[in-house]
Amino acid sequence: MQKNSERTLADGTRISDLINLETREVAMRTLSDPELYELEMERIFAKTWVFLGHETEIPKSGDFMIRDLGSDSVLVARDKDGVHVSLNVCPHRGMKISTLDCGNTPAHVCIYHGWAFKPNGDFIGAPVEKESMHGKLLSKEQLGLKKARVAIYGGLIFATWNIEGPSFEEFLGDAKWYFDTLWCRTDKGMEVLGPPQRFTIRANWKTACEQSASDGFHVLTLHRWLSEVGPYRKPGSEGGGGDLTPEMYGSEVYTAHAHTMRCIELDRKIRRLTGKDPSELSVKEKLEALPPPGVTQEMIPELLRNLSEDQLKIITWRPPQVGNFFPNGLFEFVYIPTPDGVVGVMALHAYVPKGPDKLEFVNWILAEKDTPPQLKATMLRLGVQLLGTSGMVEQDDSDTWPHQTIAAKGAMSKHITLKYQAMYETGKPEGWPGPGDVGDGFTKDDTQWRWWQYWHELMTAES
Amino acid sequence: MLQNLLEPTPLPPSVRANRLAIGSPEYNEILDFLYDEAEMLDNLRLAEWGELLTQDLEYNAPLRHTRSTAQFDQTYIRTVQHLHESYGSMMMRVKRITDTKSAWGEDPPSRVKRMVSNVRVYKTDKADEFKVESYLLVTRSRFDFDYFDLIPCVRYDILRRVEGSLKLARREILLDQVVIGTPNLGIIL
Repeated sequence: MQKNSERTLADGTRISDLINLETREVAMRTLSDPELYELEMERIFAKTWVFLGHETEIPKSGDFMIRDLGSDSVLVARDKDGVHVSLNVCPHRGMKISTLDCGNTPAHVCIYHGWAFKPNGDFIGAPVEKESMHGKLLSKEQLGLKKARVAIYGGLIFATWNIEGPSFEEFLGDAKWYFDTLWCRTDKGMEVLGPPQRFTIRANWKTACEQSASDGFHVLTLHRWLSEVGPYRKPGSEGGGGDLTPEMYGSEVYTAHAHTMRCIELDRKIRRLTGKDPSELSVKEKLEALPPPGVTQEMIPELLRNLSEDQLKIITWRPPQVGNFFPNGLFEFVYIPTPDGVVGVMALHAYVPKGPDKLEFVNWILAEKDTPPQLKATMLRLGVQLLGTSGMVEQDDSDTWPHQTIAAKGAMSKHITLKYQAMYETGKPEGWPGPGDVGDGFTKDDTQWRWWQYWHELMTAES
Repeated sequence: MLQNLLEPTPLPPSVRANRLAIGSPEYNEILDFLYDEAEMLDNLRLAEWGELLTQDLEYNAPLRHTRSTAQFDQTYIRTVQHLHESYGSMMMRVKRITDTKSAWGEDPPSRVKRMVSNVRVYKTDKADEFKVESYLLVTRSRFDFDYFDLIPCVRYDILRRVEGSLKLARREILLDQVVIGTPNLGIIL
């Protein structure tokens, strides 16, 4: 009998045939195949924890918003007990329960036959109680919305259908040590500055997500404008510029479940701001010279209190600035040079799969709750100008992914391979106190290759 | 307080009694401005378009939400938006296209038609400023794709007369889609 892990596609191809673990290559076909897409929805999006939004989007009891957990619409709602995630489909006849984007209500009533549900998904009742419209075969307890398992971490809402599966902490693994430095560094935590931007790209979700796993190389060419006229233009390099290689040095972290990050070195910036050798400065002095995005001088004692000595070392040397959380989340906590000094931008993305050839790009812009209002406004403007729908950086990405998706259909090109063969050869940088696999120096492909290794592991796992 | 800082300056109201008659000389001048602007943008005369902007420009495109009929006024979101530009950031967008060789999101450029209609002009409290409402239907064609991206929207503009010429001082773009159906807003609306 054939093992699950050797499940074949209709033409006899095994999933393992699509990825060469020795030469670090992936067949292009994976970027558009409808059969693989269906398997991904079952084996990845119904199994892992998936990022849905931020709890500050629904601050009050009764607040709700509609999001996507893989290919399913879900109701994300708050009651006095916390945040709940339920399938946004009526168990009666399959109508979508809420057709709105968000709102506040103590009862979600299906417009089709009137069945009603609490924010936590429990069945309240059907109209004409005495006539027992829902029958007597099933109890009310059995007629609630299908509920997902929820985890809140640093205000981020994650959910999974894998009720008995690994805990959220297990899923994060070594990445948590680093993510704590971004999402759990201040006393009050972060907040969204508004609802997310949303737009559709005719591309497979993996084109965006394999890039989100810390692809450094693409910045050099696809985002070259940053150094031609953009914020990374060097003084005196009028129009010429074009060299982003200094931004490509640092550490790259990749963890067992394919959460990865680029920890970009701050030494040059700190040297420029203080005129001193960073190695002669204390952690506190470095934080004061260049606080993380959204953090002010007044908030620095909180960081010193909330983070370990080792974590403080990382965030003042090579802080995580861009990276992903598998399968479809991305973070950008970046330090952007502007004429008025370095301004931080804090953004989270989800690349929601919408079929083999379509994804929805969801972009949240955040700040620390205690970030002063004027700085929040500056961070928001800069975030909108660089990222998301109209972002001068990310509009180049959104125009690239559709071409990869189309190419993945060609009789010849679907057999071309994506290559991840630039490898770190020296291991962790000296004195690196953080966990996980860590590369040192110029960006490489190891983070993205880890993404595909974990994709392969999940897609061939015994279920 | 925070909301005021995050959101753009509110537009003046459209007062029916202050409406300029269709076909009046000032209405025609403003219609010319909108048609000429569309022609410049459709033909990538971006530097020339930049000269139509005032230094205090505010240019924004709110998010939209699907809400119930009773909550229609809550369907516009002006904190996080799709665009929220100043003169400086708008000119950076222009320079990215005119002065680099790597504005890949619009190089090669889309073929775009900006169809302007339903133009209504209102006098405002300021003698040199007009509030102008127009519908805009944008068709965008990229590469050899056999479909068009459609971007229907309403624009609320403030046009200001500066040394005899009309300039764009304020624009708010209300898009119809909650989930924008074009891969980016790398084109100017």
